[in-house]
Order: sequence, then C-alpha cells, then structure tokens
Amino acid sequence: MAAQRQASSASQTPLISPAELAYLYTSLSLPDGPIRPDGRSATQFRPLTAETDILPGTNGSARVGFADGTQAIVGVKAEVEKTVVAAEALNLSQHGAEDFADTEGDERHQSPSAGHGSWVQMSIEIPGFRDDDALPVFLSEMMREPLVESVSDGHGGSDDMAGGLKGRLVINKRWHWRLYIDVLLLSQPLSYPLPLLSLTTHLALLSTKLPKLKSQGEEDPFFDDDWNAAEYLYPRSQLKSHLSPTQQVRPPVTLLVISVGENVVFDPNREEIAVADTVLAVSVTRDSDSDGLKLLSIRTVDPPSRLTQPGVPNSENVATLGSTAAAEEALEMNPSTEEDIPGVWKPRRGGVKRRTIAKMLKLVLEKGGVGEEVLEGLEGVEVG
Amino acid sequence: MKSLRRDLSSNPQAANVTSKIFVRSTKSGKVQKIVRELYLRQDIPCSSKICSACPTTAPADANGNITPFVLSEHPAGTSAFPRGHYLVPDTNALLNGMDLFEHTGAFYDVIILQTVLEELKNQSLPLYNRLLALIKTDDKRFYLFFNEFRLETHVRRGPDESINDRNDRAVRTVAKWYTEHLKTTAKGKKEKTIPTIVVITDDKENLRKAKQEGVTALSLSDYVAGLEDSDRLLDMINESREAREAKGARGELFYPEYYSKSRLMTGVRAGNLHQGVFNVSPYNYLEGSINVSAFDKPLLILGRDNSNRAISGDVVVIEVLPKDQWKTPSTKLVDEEAVTKNDNPDAEDSEAVVTERERKALQEEVKKAHGTNSEGRPQPTARVVGVMERRWRQYVGHVDSGSTGAQDSSGRRQQNVFVLPMDKKVPKIRVRTRQAADLLGQRILVTIDAWDRDSRYPTGHFIRSLGELETKGAETEALLLEYDVQYKPFPKAVLDCLPSEGHDWRVPTSKENIGWKGRRDLRDLLICSIDPPGCQDIDDALHARPLPNGNFEVGVHIADVSHFVKPNNAMDLEASLRGTTVYLVDKRIDMLPHLLGTDLCSLKPYVERYAFSVLWEMTPNAEVVSADFTKSVIRSREAFSYEKAQKRIDDPSAKDELTESMRTLLRFSKILRQKRMDAGALNLASPEVRIEADNDEVGDPLADVKTKAMLETNSLVEEFMLHANITVATKIYSTFSQTAMLRRHATPPPQNFEELTNQLTKKRDMRIDVSSSRALADSLDRCVDEKNPFFNTLVRILATRCMTSAEYFCAGAHAESEFRHYGLASPIYTHFTSPIRRYADLLVHRQLASAINYEGEDGRAVVEGVMTRNRLEDICRNINYRHRNAQFAGRASIEYYVGQALKARGEKMAATSMDGGIEEEGYVMRVFENGVVVFVPRFGIEGVVRLEDFVLPTDAALRTVAERRELVMRRQSDFDNEEYTLRVSNKGQSETDGSMKVELFEKVNVNVSSVKEEGGRGAGKRRVRILILGNNA
Repeated sequence: MAAQRQASSASQTPLISPAELAYLYTSLSLPDGPIRPDGRSATQFRPLTAETDILPGTNGSARVGFADGTQAIVGVKAEVEKTVVAAEALNLSQHGAEDFADTEGDERHQSPSAGHGSWVQMSIEIPGFRDDDALPVFLSEMMREPLVESVSDGHGGSDDMAGGLKGRLVINKRWHWRLYIDVLLLSQPLSYPLPLLSLTTHLALLSTKLPKLKSQGEEDPFFDDDWNAAEYLYPRSQLKSHLSPTQQVRPPVTLLVISVGENVVFDPNREEIAVADTVLAVSVTRDSDSDGLKLLSIRTVDPPSRLTQPGVPNSENVATLGSTAAAEEALEMNPSTEEDIPGVWKPRRGGVKRRTIAKMLKLVLEKGGVGEEVLEGLEGVEVG
Repeated sequence: MKSLRRDLSSNPQAANVTSKIFVRSTKSGKVQKIVRELYLRQDIPCSSKICSACPTTAPADANGNITPFVLSEHPAGTSAFPRGHYLVPDTNALLNGMDLFEHTGAFYDVIILQTVLEELKNQSLPLYNRLLALIKTDDKRFYLFFNEFRLETHVRRGPDESINDRNDRAVRTVAKWYTEHLKTTAKGKKEKTIPTIVVITDDKENLRKAKQEGVTALSLSDYVAGLEDSDRLLDMINESREAREAKGARGELFYPEYYSKSRLMTGVRAGNLHQGVFNVSPYNYLEGSINVSAFDKPLLILGRDNSNRAISGDVVVIEVLPKDQWKTPSTKLVDEEAVTKNDNPDAEDSEAVVTERERKALQEEVKKAHGTNSEGRPQPTARVVGVMERRWRQYVGHVDSGSTGAQDSSGRRQQNVFVLPMDKKVPKIRVRTRQAADLLGQRILVTIDAWDRDSRYPTGHFIRSLGELETKGAETEALLLEYDVQYKPFPKAVLDCLPSEGHDWRVPTSKENIGWKGRRDLRDLLICSIDPPGCQDIDDALHARPLPNGNFEVGVHIADVSHFVKPNNAMDLEASLRGTTVYLVDKRIDMLPHLLGTDLCSLKPYVERYAFSVLWEMTPNAEVVSADFTKSVIRSREAFSYEKAQKRIDDPSAKDELTESMRTLLRFSKILRQKRMDAGALNLASPEVRIEADNDEVGDPLADVKTKAMLETNSLVEEFMLHANITVATKIYSTFSQTAMLRRHATPPPQNFEELTNQLTKKRDMRIDVSSSRALADSLDRCVDEKNPFFNTLVRILATRCMTSAEYFCAGAHAESEFRHYGLASPIYTHFTSPIRRYADLLVHRQLASAINYEGEDGRAVVEGVMTRNRLEDICRNINYRHRNAQFAGRASIEYYVGQALKARGEKMAATSMDGGIEEEGYVMRVFENGVVVFVPRFGIEGVVRLEDFVLPTDAALRTVAERRELVMRRQSDFDNEEYTLRVSNKGQSETDGSMKVELFEKVNVNVSSVKEEGGRGAGKRRVRILILGNNA
C-alpha cells in the first residue's frame, strides 16, 4: 500500500531525515535565490542526451537520457482507421451553428476536419509498475491531454495543422490515422519521470512521419509506397531561417516546476521535490496563432513533503528533555506546528499563494523564458 | 550515452548490413512501414563462363553442386561490339521490348538484375511472368543476377535521390562491376576476349550519366539498329512510349480521363461504381455490355465515348448514366471495317473520337429508343470510368491494305498501318512498321501497347508473321493463338515422366506384381468400346451381363490415366495447364503426350489395359441396386464405331454374347434416358457439323461437311457416361465435402429468356415456360412448326444461348443446393469418363481412388495436391477457361474449313464457268434494321446478310462482291421491330414490286459462297457470303 500511495504522489519519497529536509528546504528557499544540491541555477535543467529515429520499425521514435542514468524510449506508430460516423453527424447541416460552438463538449457534433481525442493512444511502461497502477495511468493521461487538446484554428502559419494534432490525423470524412504512442522508461524512476517522458514524447512526435497520401478528397486513402516521401506529422520548415520557428505548431512539453518558499525551481531532482511546497506540471506548446507560447494545462502534483514526518525541536525532544512529563508539558505549552521553528522540518500544509503560481507561469511563458528555451533546445536535436 | 541508432552508412563494420524501407498498403486497408534488413554477401556469382573466380566461391547446394553458369564464353558480337557483349537492360527496355528479348534471332546472354525484375513486377505482372519464363529457358542464356544482395553492386539510396534514379544507378553500378570483375578474373586474362557489358536504357539522363561514368549504354532502338534484320526487330519495340514523346503535349484529347485508382476503389466499395468484364456485341462493335454483380441484367455501353478505350475482355469500372440517356440495344448491324474504312492511320489531327459516320449510326439507335415502340423499353446504359485490369493479349490479324495505300511501299520508311484483328470485338490497332509492304497479305501477330486519350485507336506493335493468309499452317496457328491454346510440343521434362518402356509397356503378367495391387481382374468380361470412327484416344468401354439372380451387372470402364500421371510432376502440371485436348478439323492438340493418350491409356481392343471401373447391379428395369467402384484390368473385345455397333445390334443374325450385352446396354440406356427426360433434362441443340477429312481431292470438297447424325448407339454411350458421372459425383462428394471436383450448370435467370419469349409469342404464338428445367423441356417440345421441321431445332439453339454455361467448381465453393446441373436435371454432376482429354476427369479419378481407399503402387492414396481448396479453385478457373476456349477453337476451325471447302468448290466451278456458291436452306435467327442473321444448318454456320445481299429480281444477275456493293446505295429497308420483319426494296420502287420481306424464324433460300474482299476496306480478307435468294420456296 505504501508503494501505491507514494506512486500517486510526486515520487517515491527518498529516505531523508527531517533534519536533512529542513536543511534542503532552507537552502532552496533562500531569498537571494536557491542554492540547489547539485549547484544548478533555478532555471537550469539537468544535462541530457537525446536522439531520434532509433527504432526503424516505427513511424517516429526518440530516446532521452538524463545524466543521472534515467532513460526513456518513445515509439510512435500510426495506423489507418475508418471513422465511425454517428448518424447525427451526417445531418450536421440541420443542427446549424449552435451545436458547432461546442465541438469540444459534444463529440457527436464534430466539424468534418475535427478529429477525436481517442485517436491518440498512449501507454506508459515503468519498471516495477503494473500498467493499471496509478502512476502510469496518471502520467499518460497527463501527457495525452495537452497533446490532443492543443487546438489552433489554423489561421496562422500553416493550414496543415488546423485543428491541432487531432485535425492532422483526419484523412477525410471517413478515414483517419490512429496514433499509438508507447512510452518506455528504461530505468527505475529515480525522480518523478514526467519531464523525461514528456521531452522524449515530444521528440518522438517531432520525428514522426506519415506516409504520403496520394488519393484526394473523400476517396478511400491510398498512399505513396516510398517511405522517403513520407511527411512529418508536425510539418518541419524547409529552411530554418525562412520560416520563423515560432510560427510552427509543435507538440506540447510538460515541465515540472516547484516552488520552495518564495523561490521557483525548474527540473527538480528527487530531493528537491521532497521539500517542495507546490509541484506543478505545466504544459505549453508553440502555436501558430501567436508568437509566444500557449499554456495548455496546469496540474498540481501532490507534493511528497506532505507525507514526511515533522522534525521535533530540541525543546520538545523527549530524548533531550529527559522526561516524558516534561515533554507532555512542552507539548501543551507550545501547541507546536503552528509556528515554524527555523531549522526544524515541518511538512507543508495548506494551499499555494496565487502570486507564487503566477510567478511560476510567468517564468515558463515569458518571452525568452524557460519554455522557449526548452523548445528551442529540443528543436536543435537533429531529426531524421 | 552510446547511440542506439543504427546508422549503417557511417559504420564500416556494418558495411554488409543495410536496410530497405517502404510503405506497404494491405488489402484490408492497413498501411505499414516495412523495414527489411539486408545482409550483403560476396558469393553471388557473375555466372559468366569466362570467370575463373566465381566458380570457387559460388554457394553450393546440399549435394555440393553449384548452379551451372549461364552466360556464354563467346557471346555473340555485333558490328559495334566485335568482342561480343552481355546485355544489361533496365526496366523500361524490358517494358518496351519484351517481344524483342523473346525473339530467337538476337538478344542472347542477358543479365537481368533483381532490381529490374522487381520493378517490372510492380509495373506489369504479365511481362514479369514472361521474363521469368525467359530466365528459365536455357537456350536464351538469361541470368538473373541478385545485385541487391551482392556487396559490390548494392546501391544505397541517396538522401534526395528518387527511386528511379537509384535504380538506374544500380544498373550502371552492375555494368561497371561486371566489367571490372571480368577483367580481373577472366581465364587466360586476354583483354581482347572480354565481352563488353552493354546497358540498354531509354532514359536520356541515364544514358548521359553512363557516358560520364564510362559505362557502355545504348537506347533500345539504337542497339537494335545495329543488329541484322533490324527493320523487323525495330517494329517489335513497344510504340506507346516513343509515340507519346514524339507527340508531346498535343491539344486534343479524344477520350475522357479515367478516374484515379483510389476514386475507383472508393466508388466500387461504396456501390456508386461497378466493376465487371467489358464485352463487345458481335453484331455491333460500338455496343458493349457489362455484367455487374449489382444488377441482374447486363448494362449497355454505347459508343466509343462511353466505352472509353476499353477493349473486350478488360476488367473495367463503370458508372450508370442518368435515365434520360438510357437506350434500347441496337437493332442495327454495325461493322467497324465498313464504318471506318477511310480512316488514315497517319492523319491523327483530323480524327474525332466519334466520326460523323459513327455518330449517324448511333443517332438512328437513339431514334429507335425514343420511338413509339412499347416493347423495346430503353435499357440502362453506363460509361466506363476506369480500367482495373487490362486483359490485352496478343492479337492475330492482318494489315488493312487500304491503310497502307497513302505512302506506297516506298523503301524502308516507317509508316503507320492499321491491323484488323481476327476478333471482331477488338478495334483496329495502329501499328508503326517499316515493312508494311511485306506484311500485306500475311497473318500477323500484334500486341496492344497503349491507348492514350489523344488517340482514336489503340497503338501496338508487330510481333511476328504467321505466314500467308489462308494457308493452312498460318490459319491453324492463328486459331490456336487466338484461343490461347498451348500448342507447343511437350517439353522434355514432361516426356521424362512417361513410362520408360514406351509403347512396349504391358500390364504385368504376374498378379504378384505391384501394379496389380488393389486391382480387380475383369479380363474375362465381354467389354467393348463404342466411339466415333477413327477414334484413337478411347476413354471408355462398357459391358453388361446377366447375374444369376435375374439382375444385370453393368460396367463402365474408364482409362486409368491417374495411374500414369502422378500428381504434381511435370506432366501433371502441364496437363493441368492445358486443361483439355483441343480438337480442330485436321489437328488435335493433346492434353497428354501421344504415348499415353493414344496407346497406354487408350482402352484399345484385344490388349490388356488398366481401367477404373464403375459397376452397377441393375434390375431388368434399370433400377440401380448397388454401385461399386474399382481399379481394374480389362481386355476390350472390340472397338466399334457408332455405325458399326448400330449395325451389329440391328443384325438379327448376330446372336453372340457380345452383341447380346450391347443390346442389353441399349435397352437400359433407353430406360435411363426416359427417366432423365422425365426428371426434366433438356434436349438442347447446338449447330454442329462434323468434318470428315481425308477425302480425295477429286470429289466435292463440301461432301466432307456432315451434320452430326444421332444414332441410338450415340445415346447408348452418352447415357451410361452420364450415369457413371453422376454416381461418381455422389461418391466423391460424400468423401470430400469441401474439395470434391464437381460440375454444375446454374439455373438461368428467367430474364435471359425474355427476348426469345417475346419473339416466339409474336411470331408463332408459342410460349416457353422457364419456371423449371422440366417446364422448359416440355415447352420446347411443344415448339413445333408443321411446315418447318427445323424450327424446333432452331428454337433449341436459341434457347441454349440464353443459358449460362456449365462450369467446374469445387464442392466448398457453393451451397449444396447450387450443385444442380440444370441441363441434365441432376442434383449433382461431375466429369469422370474422359480423363485422357480432360484434366477435371483426371482429378476426379484421383479423388475417387482415394475415396475407395485405393492405395496405389507405393501404398499411399494419391490425393495429395488436390486436397487444398485454393489450389482446386485455381485449377477450376483455368480448366473452365480452357474448356470454353477449346470449344470456340473447335467451332472456328470448322467454320474455317467450311469456308475453305466453299472456296475450293467455287474455284472448281469457276473453271467450268459456272456461278460460285451453293444453294441451301437457311433460317432467319435475328433481324436487324439493316440486315438479318441467317443460320445454314447444312454447314452449321450463321452469317450476316446485309441489305445488298438480298437478291431482288432486278439484280439477280449481279453476283460479284463489287457489283453487289454498288447496290447498297439504292437499297432501302423497312424494319418492324415489333413484328421482327424486314422488307428490302430498291429506292424509288413501289413496295410490292420487286421487294422482299423476311421475318424471324423464316426459312429462306440462300446462296452460300466464299468471297474475297477486294479493294477498299479489309482487302484480302476472305469471308463466307450468304445471299438470300427468296423465301417462298
């Protein structure tokens, strides 16, 4: 049960004593900026290596490895599938525009070019977990959701991506692609694996190609048998300088951000998460609509610090006081937990300040911020 | 982190590993990325006999032998390559010049690359199969080089390289490698003796690059131009490509474009479009029909626009036209040769798809459709929107002499000529040739290469000449080619399967011999065979004898072919391919080698033979008590002809046992026949005549032409064979419920008879009832005309044409209720009794042998190879096709013979200055607006009689073709579509005076002669002409 509970929270809580926790917390929440155990700056990511197209049999694949030895492989496969058209969708015209407004809400009233979220299937395998354990299920949903919901209306740079990924999967009214994204974590989840898996998935999708369609319109699909002619799922610019990279629709990345006191720390490692006040999974993407980044979702992740045991101040420590009576007395005198005693670990309770969340998001989304930095870095990985 | 990616190009360690990536779309609609890893090797031999290195490295088989090397040590040279040369053709060279490569005069020592072979397979399956056959033959020395698997010749596709460019590069790489390789490994190392490697390609870019890289490369035509006899060879190059390049983007497109493949597939799946086989009417080349599964009746396709470059036999996709374009089928005879005789094969610019004349012919049909006619309701029409599969083959024809006129025979200049195919359903083919003058008057073989939107006629090229028109050899070969009869002599592999004893083979004398295992000794039975006179391949023999209990034992003994033809050996495969023996008037194309067919298997009299016997115990009333099947040994006492047997039976003085047994058989056969008739079997008629050849030269050539006489003994044999077939069918079906080889005759849909019923009602006030075969049989019996004894036969012939044809099938393919043989009124049927001449019977023999647990010589039942349904269905498809073609070929042969006999007679008569032609009775089978179709029972031929060939009193003296043609202009006709009458008169004359009226089913006097077309259209073609002399005789 313990493992289960831990799984649902941000990571397996490392076995760290309250004193260590208090030390970590103090150094991370320093008002002049955090001092991180590995010496990184607040927005600095751990070094990683990445490569794409490692699995020849897939439509697209990628592998990312962090320096701590965690590695993930993602393979993307695409399959042609017949679209099941509900009878109602056929006489869409009768319903008119009123239904059209809530395409998201009611799946039966899709516009022809709108895809369906269920066309993207994601499965995550993590060593030591069953596929119906909470962690893989939660993670896959957390990553799939921004992927299929990242809709742009296509007024921007390219019409190809009208309707986002879902729209891209539509072949015609009767046919669509189904995407299977298989995520495989190769190592034990030393830290919360979300950033690693998200980055790998992002790269895999960037390198994903679909066979070139030869048929037109509402014909049954018919494809070019030359794989070299296949087209990227997320269209790539021909010349890097020609089209500004901000114009291109990209798959989302989900970043893990924590706040410790007033400080915001990116790409936290296991120990850092253990003392976090808040853990946020922020999904952003680049959108053809606007120049900047688009925020797709924010999820809070249950911080493991809640589950830690509080430290006991010397004043209350039975061992140091010597008698139980004194201890009891002390407890009565200081109904502890109310106030912080510096240097003594106390699990965080209660909500997050609106200001803190705003700060975290700003850091991610602002121009030249962490989000852009990450996307650019990923763009730099050679695909193909 | 070490990369996981397998980047092969940069890794020297992995030089021998590479991969091939492509997208595969499966039939079920899946689209898969396929990655194949290739492990390159260095032991694939060059297969040149010059090479000293490859024999040491070439992979050996289990016995340690390496495949013999193919390419000659001293390949043929040309003026350009005196040291000899090996050819390396690219895919296009093969696509354009497959006929050349098959030519026996040139193109030896050819290296076929695996790359090229695969590309060819994707582009044209028939050509691919032909190339495979070429590679298999030893004498052409074609070597299939697996260049993709050899390290040195494997080519990796560059980043922006197209597949074509890559393949071209592969061809050049191979050429380079061969040159280098032979230089270093040649025995004796004499530079002079090494043959040049010549790449044949028509791709200009490829030629240029080859030159750059120092590879000898030539275009196909350039290469051929350097050979002997180049004119003839050049004609054999596929026209389409060259022509397209020459024409470039010309403005006018005559035909609508086909829909894209995916659009067709979508449409067919969704049911908006339909797929079927395109058929052209034999009476009107502008009218086609197509049977699609969605509708009961065929759809009409009228005019060239709508048939849109489809050629009879193609599998096409059609779209039904709107109702306002529906029409009645034509009532007019339209002959391509007549309508388009003035077309000039060179002047394309003046062409329209539908010429004025054709348009006129169509207009009149529309008029008809919109007329007051109530009976001829417009029928749904359709147009071709795409072609799924071209069934183009090689066509036999002759050059239209009219089309060569324009340029004379001025030297060797290339010119366009029209070739008129023998098959009237095929449009004329435009062929470019340098030898037009030589080809006139020859039977030639051509093929269609393409039919582009901007060309009114298909373009093709010349393959070879069969010989002069009307020579026996040329015409017979033409027939065989036209009906796809495999007539080449049996290959050695097949002959090797024959018993080594040859004609000396005997049934073993000792019963201990393995050959006797499981065989019953029936040598003491009084068995005899009854066949047509001169029959050599005796399939069947019969006997009957009284049993002590008062019943009779009746036996049918069939040649035991399956003893000699073992499953899946070369002979068996050849036989399954041939499917049937084809009987022409003066030639028999055997299914099995001569030795078996006419000797070892044939149940010849006085000798012992293996047989497969069906034995019944029958009551004196021919009720079957029990049936038994056994392999046996028999000795036939006598081989009778039908006539002889009849005489013997009728001779009251003959009291011997054999005669008595024949009488018993005859009596039984009559009872069986009656039972069959009572069950509703149809007595169908086909217009058959028999030619008894080998008459002396002096007599009347027409005396050979005999209508088939039906003797009692004919039906004796027939009844017992039917009975045996049915008995065997039941037996094999009970054992092999899924794979039994059966034969069915589907119940024809009633609408097939609609027209005939209409005609009969109108003209004779008779009805035919098609509700069941019994009802049909009875109603056909009632169709009798007192004054016209032949009328009944005529109706039967017409009724037969309304039915579907019988077919072989394997039991699993249909529900049991569909097994019915409609014509024979039998719930189940198969073919068992003629294994020498039909492959189906041979299969049935094997199945029956297995069903009765006959173990054979080697102790195993021999049904292997016939147990899988897929294979059986393939065989069924093939033998159904062969069977049909054999029938057509036989009929065509008789028709040709009749024509020749008439010609011979005509010539003889001409010597004594008498009018050619012979007067006969004929019957009107169909009436058109501008002619009628007349059937002449005496010769079993039917022919079209046009307006000019009605002999009216005013022109009785005019007989030559030319004279009669003049009459066309003056003729007028009055056609009544509802009454099926046609009145022919001269323009300007009153109705009654000097006119002639003919009607359907009417007996007419005709003059039959053989005439040769002279001048104008289709010159040089001989046809049987029928003149109608009058109808009041």
